[in-house]
Amino acid sequence: MAFKRYIMGLFKDEDQVVSAIKELKTSSYKFIRVNMPFPSHKIMEVLNLKKSKVGWFTLGGGIFGLLAGFALAIYTATEWSLMVSGKPIVAYVPFVVVSFEATILCAVFGNILGLITQTRLPSYKGLKYYDPRCSGQYFGILATCATEQEDELKDFMQRQGGEVRIFDSME
Amino acid sequence: MSQLTYANIDQTILNSLTPPKKGYWAVIVILFIGVLIGALCWTYQIFVGIGVGGQNNPVAWGTYLINFVFWVGIAHSGTLISAILHLFRAGWRNPIARAAETMTVFAVCIAGLFPFIHLGRVWQVYYMIPMPNQRLLWPNFLSPLMFDVIAISTYLTVSSLFWYTGLLPDLAAVRDRSTGNRQKIFKVLSLGWTGAHEQWRHYTRGYLFFAALATPLVISVHSVVSWDFALGIVPGWHTTIFAPYFVAGAIHSGLAMVLTLMIPLRKIFNYKDIITMDVLENVAKTIVFTGLIVGFAYATEYFIAWYSHNIVEMESFRWRAVGDYRVGFYIMVLCNTLIPLLFLFKKIRRTIVLLFGISLLVNLGMWFERFVIIVGGVARGFSPHAWGLYAPTLIEYGIMLGSFCLFFFLFVLFVKHLPSISMTEMKETLEKGASHGV
Repeated sequence: MAFKRYIMGLFKDEDQVVSAIKELKTSSYKFIRVNMPFPSHKIMEVLNLKKSKVGWFTLGGGIFGLLAGFALAIYTATEWSLMVSGKPIVAYVPFVVVSFEATILCAVFGNILGLITQTRLPSYKGLKYYDPRCSGQYFGILATCATEQEDELKDFMQRQGGEVRIFDSME
Repeated sequence: MSQLTYANIDQTILNSLTPPKKGYWAVIVILFIGVLIGALCWTYQIFVGIGVGGQNNPVAWGTYLINFVFWVGIAHSGTLISAILHLFRAGWRNPIARAAETMTVFAVCIAGLFPFIHLGRVWQVYYMIPMPNQRLLWPNFLSPLMFDVIAISTYLTVSSLFWYTGLLPDLAAVRDRSTGNRQKIFKVLSLGWTGAHEQWRHYTRGYLFFAALATPLVISVHSVVSWDFALGIVPGWHTTIFAPYFVAGAIHSGLAMVLTLMIPLRKIFNYKDIITMDVLENVAKTIVFTGLIVGFAYATEYFIAWYSHNIVEMESFRWRAVGDYRVGFYIMVLCNTLIPLLFLFKKIRRTIVLLFGISLLVNLGMWFERFVIIVGGVARGFSPHAWGLYAPTLIEYGIMLGSFCLFFFLFVLFVKHLPSISMTEMKETLEKGASHGV
């Protein structure tokens, strides 16, 4: 079936959103996404989402930072082997401080990289089928259907207690 | 909180972004004049030389380093509130988290200026960057001063990124409720955020990791700052208690600054339903806790000086209480440990004027604590023939005035141009209701 119409149901109540999503998933309409002003736990639960992979980027950044911090401190110390205060040239204990800070810094960079790649931001494409009220007090369920089903989907959203907004075809 | 709805949270917070009145611009101009005074004093110092300050031999570290430690300390409670209390799921932090995070970013920026000012020949600052100089010599990472460069630059980067990430959904909310150029600007700033469930899935995870990383960072940063002193063998400095003592002190002063900023903000923007008395009361209770830790640290220092039988340490601490800087010492003990105990009384915790007044006194006390530690340490070292005193000069007072004005100038600009309370987190709090303890 070719999906042509994009319809958003705008709800004020999270419970209505939860019930609408449940029914939408078993219907012939295609659920696309739900836009939320905040991460509603009830809604996230019903969507049954997988755990985000952002943490792997954070971990990768952290491990890189740990090694890079030590490498920087050791390399710079051995470039000019001058003994200071009777401490060894490669003094691991003070280098832990450098390495610790580098771990945090690079883990945060990894985290940002993870967020950018996973959320695919910056991208302004999502604003095409978006209602500004979704950053206020409404939850917007976006679904698509064939042109001839437009009225049915509209009725479905209204039955669930939502206001309806129809977007033009994606084509 | 029961009277709050998603709609009036938006309304109240977005109302703070309406075009400002004349009074606002008058405050901006006054603060900007203060910033200019500071900038002129620094310029004068650059042209004439570092000798225009009061630093001398033996007191080579004066107000520039005192203010550095003071501003780093102020920064700390922002991260405590936004990261540590986020991990503890303390819902009462939500109304004040954004402003506290912003305070952190500005305070770190200002703290970061002071090593530049203290350097005198500021154009040689690149010696501190990990890159080889003309003789192919690298910075020495055994030095706590190099730890500091790494720690403070990491803290500035992380707190700025944390702040911006937290701001993202609210930038989208402002975009959706504005027109014209403001909408265009916020469209770019919000990076196309739509609050789609897929975005939230990654965002909430990423934000949690941010908080988890910022927590050890904030503890490490002030520990590193304390090692600038503790790794030197100066009496009064060379002690292992410095790291936790400095971290607690930093959070103590930062929480006081949160009250100093939040109380006028609450009044001016009519945030009384959002920043409730309960929120301010919780900050006051935390101040009692940090004040007790700080007081315990003061007492421990004296105990260890006596217990060590080290005559230099004993003399150093005797002089602290009865010597030339005794007034500073009494101010610090009184304002940091005794006066905050007044918050044990519920009536005082819930009286706005007293909350505000005590927060100012704690800030004053924490500034004097840094004075007593930094100046008091080097002024009275091992050799009596090398003892000396220090007093700040007008140039130093000018730079200090400039730093305070710059901080408030940036903060006043912020509150009128960006949402000073997180709408997203407030809505989340509302969703969870009483379970979040607000």
